[in-house]
Amino acid sequence: MSIILRTEKLRVEYRSREIRQATKVAVNGLDLEVSAGEVFGFLGPNGAGKTTTMNVLLGFVPPTSGAAYLFGIDVRQPIARQRIGYLPELTYYYKFLTAEELLRFYARIFGLPRAKTDQRIAELLKLVELEPAAKRPIKGYSKGMQQRVGLAQALINDPDLLILDEPTSGLDPLGRMKVREIIQRLKREGKTVFFSSHELGEVESVCDRVAIIHQGELRAVGRVAEITGGHQNLEEAFLDIIGYKPQPAPLP
Amino acid sequence: MKNAFAVAGVVVKELYRRKDFYVLFIVTVLICLVMASVNIYDDAHIARYLKEISLLLIWISSLVIAITTTARQIPAERENRTLIPLLAKPLTRTELVAGKFLGCWLACGLTLLCFYVFFGALAASREHHWPLQNYVQAALMHWCLLGIVVSMSLLGSLVFAAPSSNSTICAVVVMGILFVARHLDQVAITRPEPFRTVAFVFYYALPHLEFYDLRDLIIHDWPPVDWKYVSLAVLYGAFYMAVFIIGACLVFRRKAVN
Amino acid sequence: MASMRTSILLAIALLVACFGMAAHLGPEFLGWRGSRSAGDILNVVLGDSRRLFANQFFTKADEYYHSGYYPSMFDNKSAFQTAHIAADTGAVNSKNEGDEHGFLGPPRNWIDAFGRHFFPNRHTHLDEDSPDDLSSSEKVREILPWLKLSADLDPENVQTYTVTAYWLRSRMRNVAEANAVLHEGLRNCPKSYEILYEMGRLYQESYHDHEGARNVWEQGVRYWLQLDSSIPGGNRPIRELVADWNARPTNLAPAQSDDKLSMEQLSTHLAQLEENAGNLPRAIEWLEAAKKVSLTPETLQNRIDLLNSKLGQELNPLLKPLF
Repeated sequence: MSIILRTEKLRVEYRSREIRQATKVAVNGLDLEVSAGEVFGFLGPNGAGKTTTMNVLLGFVPPTSGAAYLFGIDVRQPIARQRIGYLPELTYYYKFLTAEELLRFYARIFGLPRAKTDQRIAELLKLVELEPAAKRPIKGYSKGMQQRVGLAQALINDPDLLILDEPTSGLDPLGRMKVREIIQRLKREGKTVFFSSHELGEVESVCDRVAIIHQGELRAVGRVAEITGGHQNLEEAFLDIIGYKPQPAPLP
Repeated sequence: MKNAFAVAGVVVKELYRRKDFYVLFIVTVLICLVMASVNIYDDAHIARYLKEISLLLIWISSLVIAITTTARQIPAERENRTLIPLLAKPLTRTELVAGKFLGCWLACGLTLLCFYVFFGALAASREHHWPLQNYVQAALMHWCLLGIVVSMSLLGSLVFAAPSSNSTICAVVVMGILFVARHLDQVAITRPEPFRTVAFVFYYALPHLEFYDLRDLIIHDWPPVDWKYVSLAVLYGAFYMAVFIIGACLVFRRKAVN
Repeated sequence: MASMRTSILLAIALLVACFGMAAHLGPEFLGWRGSRSAGDILNVVLGDSRRLFANQFFTKADEYYHSGYYPSMFDNKSAFQTAHIAADTGAVNSKNEGDEHGFLGPPRNWIDAFGRHFFPNRHTHLDEDSPDDLSSSEKVREILPWLKLSADLDPENVQTYTVTAYWLRSRMRNVAEANAVLHEGLRNCPKSYEILYEMGRLYQESYHDHEGARNVWEQGVRYWLQLDSSIPGGNRPIRELVADWNARPTNLAPAQSDDKLSMEQLSTHLAQLEENAGNLPRAIEWLEAAKKVSLTPETLQNRIDLLNSKLGQELNPLLKPLF
């Protein structure tokens, strides 16, 4: 199985704004591998380094040391992003464009030919159920509609790797179900999905493997069943791995 | 470059879907029509004052559009978080900056076309002739000036904190150059050192935007400028555009996306 | 309920107090020296700065006369101290000196040299192509909007009316409008001898109304002489005033010293008028009056001598029967 996503001793430091602290280590020596066709969950509490890791993979932030590769190409090369799709947690797009124009714009960046672009746009608008609103400016869309536009733009180039940052955040149960269906469909098509989420129940049902990161360091990686191990569920395992000890209830 | 053109296309769409251009165009047209209806000693053939007023309004409008449109491009992308999904595509930051520049410059060119067509019609209604070569030359030089202003504003949008401060500073700098740059060396001679050296440095370093202001030649029906001087001026402008754009690319590379 | 009633009553009380104060202060404000409320909208909005704008627009007219080739505040303006649109009317003392063709001087550096290709760089006047053929010097019309604006902003500036009227009359053959401009000028500047001089030229050269020209010129002379408050004026006939003037030693009032040219022009034109009418003694009187303020009194003296000799020749046949 080929490795689609790989990090080698990835370290990212930020200069801290606090006077006493010189730098803040957001990611410390992260070694990660994601194989083709996997649905991989990237978990961790807030501030663990998940978003920083994603920013490095997407080329937004250069690593302080170590490396990251997508399809064997260093993430600092723009071509590394040719075969990926990215759905950010907060979806904002050009309000003056229609959904169709936005998808056409992104397709042009990917270099898709005209005919293929038209075909993909039609398919995606149908998939995310935005056909009736395709020619309306995005500024008139609801949050759910904007999320669906986000999903559509992440899929415009028929990516081999989909990176999703909290894909079900802010969605109603119907929306979440649709996202799960799309992920499972992509998996059936042999695509790789790498996503972070706080919805451990969803992760448990969808992911093949998960990694748990805490304070910038990888604490556990493996199949869901392995991680869960002797715990009741993934949530319990997660809390145990990050070292959370529940406080005893106070005596009345 | 295709990515840059794709980004440019979005910028042009933004311009014609915003109200800025239409408001300025309509205000210009209204003021010019009111000025044209004034009775000046019962003489209906006076044209130059009308040409001057309309060209002044065109210049003000075009500079407002150029500066404000460009000043908000990248800051708005960051503030609205549209930069994130954009840079997640196989698009380099250099291509993004180039695309923004091309888009703003092209958008300015389209607005200039509308303004100059109106100007030509207005002038022809009084003078009954159309010095097409002069008008084309003036529009071309004006567009070149806007290219320099756009590239300057783009660099400013990455250096200054807010679009409003960038717009103000760019507007002041552009106005200052247009009014004073030609005479800066004369001012420098009258000053003691070290101000003299500083003034001379500014004189030679600043882009001399007054080269591109052919309004007096148009208003007063002078013959067109020799095209070799126009070409040199365009090359001079291209040099400054390149300097500012390269500066913007270098600054943007070091900026955080969010 | 009670508090709302109190608020309403308080508001009414305040309104009454405001109106009362306004009514009390209104007359005081109208009588205030700096009040602009009685003036037109330009006066109210701009105040005295309208004169600044008026001067700027007058200069703008001169710039248009030169098709844009005009010195900026950084250039040598010695050849443009008196606007050429005024100097070319022949009715103004010109203070210009120096080279009007090359006020820019040689190029100072390559930027200056290169930049000169992009703005007007040659001295021309709008009527230059055809000073004699008026039909093709209509381009001078382009200065009119700025002159009109200047007159609107500063109605008390005499020169604007005279210059506007001159160009309207002499170049654009728009005599009716020129006349209207001069009458407007007289309404705003009632005792302006400069406007009367220009009006006389209009009557004589355009309407060929010599009597009308004489009347306005004589009135102009009267106003000029009355600049010296020591000269008793009132309704004395103009001949008396001129005779007094000719008899007195040349002792000009400051206002008269500032503008000798106007008196010279009025007097010499009246002299010419009288000469053309065959009234040589009157012509000589006017020339004597002009001589007192002229910079070239010898030229006028030559004319006086010529007229005297003509007069002598005319008198001789009358005296012949006596001998």
